[in-house]
Amino acid sequence: MIKFSNVSLVYPTSTKTILEGLTFSIQEGEMVLVIGSTGTGKSSLLRLINGLVPHHTGGILAGDVSVDGISTQLVRPGELAHLIGIVGQNPSTGFVTDTVEEELVFGMESLNMPPDVMRKRVEEILDLLALAPLRNRAISTLSGGEQQRLAIGSALVMHPKILVLDEPTSALDPIAAEEVLSIIHRLVHDLSLTVVIAEHRLERVIGFADRIIHIAGDGQAEIDIPENILRKSEIAPPIVHLSRALSLGQVGLNVRDVRRMTEEVRTQGRDKPHSIHKVGPTAISLKGVGISYGSHIALKEVSTTIYEGEIVALMGRNGAGKSSLLQSIVGVKNLDRGQISIFDLDPADLKGKQRRTTVGYIPQEPSDLLYAQSVGQECAQADEDNEVESGTTLQLLKTLVPSISEKTHPRDLSEGQRLALALAVVLSAQPRALILDEPTRGLDYQSKTLLISILKEFAAQPSKSVIIATHDVELVAELADRVIFLSEGEIVADGPTLDILLSSPAFAPQVAKVMAPRRWLTVQDVMNGFEESPEIQ
Amino acid sequence: MKSLHPLTWWLWSIAIIVTVIRADSAIYSIAVVLGAAILVSKLAGNFPWSKSFWFSLRLGIFILIIRALTGVLIGVPIPGTKIAEVPIVPLPSWMAGIRIGGVITQERLLASLHEGLVITSVIALFGAAGSLTSPHKMLRVLPVMVYEFGVALVIATSSLPQLVASYSRIKRARVLRGDEKPKFKSIALPLLEEALSKSLDLAAAMDARGYGVNRSRSRYRPINWRVADSAIFASGLIWAMTIWMVTT
Repeated sequence: MIKFSNVSLVYPTSTKTILEGLTFSIQEGEMVLVIGSTGTGKSSLLRLINGLVPHHTGGILAGDVSVDGISTQLVRPGELAHLIGIVGQNPSTGFVTDTVEEELVFGMESLNMPPDVMRKRVEEILDLLALAPLRNRAISTLSGGEQQRLAIGSALVMHPKILVLDEPTSALDPIAAEEVLSIIHRLVHDLSLTVVIAEHRLERVIGFADRIIHIAGDGQAEIDIPENILRKSEIAPPIVHLSRALSLGQVGLNVRDVRRMTEEVRTQGRDKPHSIHKVGPTAISLKGVGISYGSHIALKEVSTTIYEGEIVALMGRNGAGKSSLLQSIVGVKNLDRGQISIFDLDPADLKGKQRRTTVGYIPQEPSDLLYAQSVGQECAQADEDNEVESGTTLQLLKTLVPSISEKTHPRDLSEGQRLALALAVVLSAQPRALILDEPTRGLDYQSKTLLISILKEFAAQPSKSVIIATHDVELVAELADRVIFLSEGEIVADGPTLDILLSSPAFAPQVAKVMAPRRWLTVQDVMNGFEESPEIQ
Repeated sequence: MKSLHPLTWWLWSIAIIVTVIRADSAIYSIAVVLGAAILVSKLAGNFPWSKSFWFSLRLGIFILIIRALTGVLIGVPIPGTKIAEVPIVPLPSWMAGIRIGGVITQERLLASLHEGLVITSVIALFGAAGSLTSPHKMLRVLPVMVYEFGVALVIATSSLPQLVASYSRIKRARVLRGDEKPKFKSIALPLLEEALSKSLDLAAAMDARGYGVNRSRSRYRPINWRVADSAIFASGLIWAMTIWMVTT
């Protein structure tokens, strides 16, 4: 169905070869997963399939890409629209019309399909993706998960033979992600749709993939079945790390298989001990906080206390009020009711230096914080703002990511490097509380590990607190001491990470699912359970 | 409510513009702008493009001021009641007939304001039509021949409101860095970068979905010309004819 013959790709302004001599073919009805660190060319590979690269981006393409027998070099991407549906990383930037129904028919109208065909297909897709109740809604009022489903729907409505998805679940909560992926899985089996999907969070997709393309970063790539790729790959989901750590001999890719392999293990070892909660003095306190946008209530009557020395994870569905809560804690969102104090100060009154030394905030787009023309200038600006010795911020950054070049423009950094730069700028002021909104969106495993170690180190200093809003259960399992679960603007659960994550199957990390009913969340927990245990040699 | 044909308000606006130019009266122009303002505030929904009337009104007022200033300071004097006098800027002899500065008369000021008002009301009427019609619906009735124009139209109308949202987001992030009065440059640069990359994404998405591949487009929901459309257009047309007759 898709055939790459000896494909090499170089972008015009870059000296780096993105792909070199890539040859593979994908059969009809196959689901292929593309993995690789950030910036290695996953998106480029996906966009080569329908010719958006190089038709839209420029660049030199050697070799040939052919789809269903058509060479993409000879036709414009639009002429493959009936054959390939593509859903970009951020669906909201790709919407062309105002309402759900208009968006679904846009592609079909462009291809001049007769109205009766369109009618039938629209109803079909509305049912398939459970979009029917939304059909007349304005797109701007949809939640992230709904937008993602709509984007997939408007690709599927063309009855493509190939569906290309670039990180389809990065903005979704675990349940919404599961929903989207199971729909795609069903289409592969029912309609023999060919799917190519790029994703960082392997734990979400690994069970569905038939083959994996692993892009190494030096232009080389290999394609093979998941077992073979993951046996040696650095990029692997927790479940594979678990198989490796327990030396199971083979890698299991889904919870069911690994559970069978580990029956023995589950009868041994010691559970993760209940962490004795070392409660410091109060850092942040919320009393009856309420926020509403017009008739929509974002937060109602939220009261809680965050203590010094804690790492608190804020979880919940898309649109549960996480971002509103974080923004009100840092004082950029006005409260309708209630009050918030942060180290006995009102966050809305914080200004200048006092703000920087009290609370550091990393927004969903870390690049919002950056505005200088180079990494070096950005660090110098932070030094000046915080009246610290010049070079301090840069030094901090170098300890986080040693390979970073001072002269690079912040825009050209990879997702992980940009986050590290924003963190360095914020941390150079030595804030007492650090607040992060969805920091792992688009981050690969390597950057995630780095982030975890930075945050743990920060929280280990005396009288510091961290609050982090995230959908990433694996991150929470590794990092957080305590989880607050929001739903519809209310706190529905609040307690130690172990208890909260184990109490709901949808939010349980992979290792916990494999090891249930044992109380282990991460590979490290399992290993610790065995080290301390005397009955294992 | 059944939505109107996307061309209705445009045709109506053009009819009214004809009357404005024909009537050539400052008071009538002001009345038309007021009428359009009432119409827009009553009928326009809460969509990104609904604000285009108020944008066009601001633009019109800006043009009015510039027109009045240049009209008074440059050009041939109209004799009449003197309001003030500005020194004449000496110009080289080959620019005979052009004069900068000199006596400002009441007549000259009024004539400039008058012309400015007519221009302002024409711009405001175009803005009103834009406010009352979804540009995306417009795109569906326009022929595919204007492909590039269509792409540009969609990008402009979708990225403007996004730009406003990004602006407040970036400004908030700056405040969080303890920077209460961020410099214009420090916001404008990331804003432009973001707008550019989003526009490219959108253009790629339109292309990938087959926009402009076929010379004709089919319609999922037929866009019909209804009685209400005829009524609105007829009202504009009758008004235009009345004004024409009165002024002849």
